[in-house]
Amino acid sequence: MTETAGDEFQPFWDAAAAGELRFPFCRSCQKFHWYPMIRCPHCNTADISWRAIDPTGSLYSWTVVQRPFDAAFNDRTPYVVGLLEFPDAPGVRLITNLVDIETDAIEFGMAAAPAFDLYDTAESRLMFRPNVKPARSLE
Amino acid sequence: MTPDIAIVGIGETAPVRRSPKDLRSLVMEAVYDALDDAGIAPGEVDGVVTDSVVMPTTVPHDYVMAQLGATSRFDGSISYGGAGIACSPLQAALAINAGLANVVISYFGVDWGTRPSGPYGFHDLYPAKQTFEKPYGFNAQPIYFGLWTRRYMKEYGLTPEQLGSVAVQQRQHALLRGGGQISKPLTIEDYLTAPRIAEPLGVPDCCLITDGAGAFVMTSNERARDCRKPPVHVAGTGFASIPVSGDSVFTQDPNVLTTPGAHPATEQALAMAGIERRDIDFVELYDCFTISVLMQLEDMGFCEKGEAGAFFEEGRAAIGSDLPINTHGGFLSYSYRLGIEHVVEAVRQLRGEAGTNQVANTRFGAVGGFSLPDYGVLVLSADG
Repeated sequence: MTETAGDEFQPFWDAAAAGELRFPFCRSCQKFHWYPMIRCPHCNTADISWRAIDPTGSLYSWTVVQRPFDAAFNDRTPYVVGLLEFPDAPGVRLITNLVDIETDAIEFGMAAAPAFDLYDTAESRLMFRPNVKPARSLE
Repeated sequence: MTPDIAIVGIGETAPVRRSPKDLRSLVMEAVYDALDDAGIAPGEVDGVVTDSVVMPTTVPHDYVMAQLGATSRFDGSISYGGAGIACSPLQAALAINAGLANVVISYFGVDWGTRPSGPYGFHDLYPAKQTFEKPYGFNAQPIYFGLWTRRYMKEYGLTPEQLGSVAVQQRQHALLRGGGQISKPLTIEDYLTAPRIAEPLGVPDCCLITDGAGAFVMTSNERARDCRKPPVHVAGTGFASIPVSGDSVFTQDPNVLTTPGAHPATEQALAMAGIERRDIDFVELYDCFTISVLMQLEDMGFCEKGEAGAFFEEGRAAIGSDLPINTHGGFLSYSYRLGIEHVVEAVRQLRGEAGTNQVANTRFGAVGGFSLPDYGVLVLSADG
């Protein structure tokens, strides 16, 4: 069997389709890593599983993109790119789009949960929706 | 290692966004200019070092050597883009000091003003970026640096006025230098009201886009004595990196607001040169964005973390002040030829031939080349 580039990424999308957020987790050294690697970059063993976590993230930073750099985004600007951290998955940060929020209302540390209701397997985009439930502190 | 070599020739094409010439013609124009500047015949070149990603796939070494009619005895490449160019004297020194080559050229050019993919084409190198970033519109450098800038402002209290003072300062230097891609002055009010690209970054925070090339010629200090211009000596070189892949480095680096490699590369280059930071008379930094100038200045150790914004706002980076930075206006206001134009400018300064933008009494200058996750530092000296 030959693997094509990107096959190692599919478990993320399968989990999203099932309403879960999963990241690569090394059973040997008990650490997460992201993006997916062939072996654990912390201990170089191959004993990696995709572990489900509490999917509510905390907003590390964001940018409001005003100018598209790809024709596919011509009718989507302005859009919000957010970078999330997860109390359950130290060391992982996830790029996403924040939806259903006014840009002026976005704050550091804001809790955001996956918008599984908007997930479309054809598009492979798991967006996040800021919510009122406070994220557990990372500090 | 003591790099017993000098830069003896520099060349660059005129800064323009779109050139009617193709990239090979632009590169060869810069290479021939650099050899002419050195007074070295093309056939004497016997080594070449560039970055290892961009040039080998656009204007390959063998094409350049064939055009020169020069026989290669040493062929090297290191890192990519700016870090690779800042470090090309590292490999050239290894080769020349070992007797493997006598005259080594380095060159770099881009046609990103006319090439449709521009600077964004490199994204295709990384499957994870294609899968987990591009679908969200996280697909261009201003967006990556916009994300960093927002967090940096929170962590260090950087103000929009401080960030803008980088763009304003460099525009002043570009106008002093003359001949750059932009001839219009920039005030802090212009900066603050400019259109945003990826908030908080706006148009003046981002580098220009250019069709152009630069080149320089290196040889032993002994051979350098017979060249046309005074030699500028390679006093120290530094290269450093971190184990974070180029697709993950904008988001997954644990120290995401620190320029990877900048501190160890600077330490290595200064130790090799046997000097301290206070001996450096000016710095040419890879200024893809205003925020990257501040981060590098801090991470190289010229400012404490979080203090570079105030350094610029107080005018301390101006020609004639404490530590002039990007004396020709850099990528933000002169032209965008990843790293090579910073080397060319440093040589002009150390020869004392910069004219309208000359820094007084230059002995040592530093060049920083930034190609995440790699960093390259070059320390040049006017004295032998």
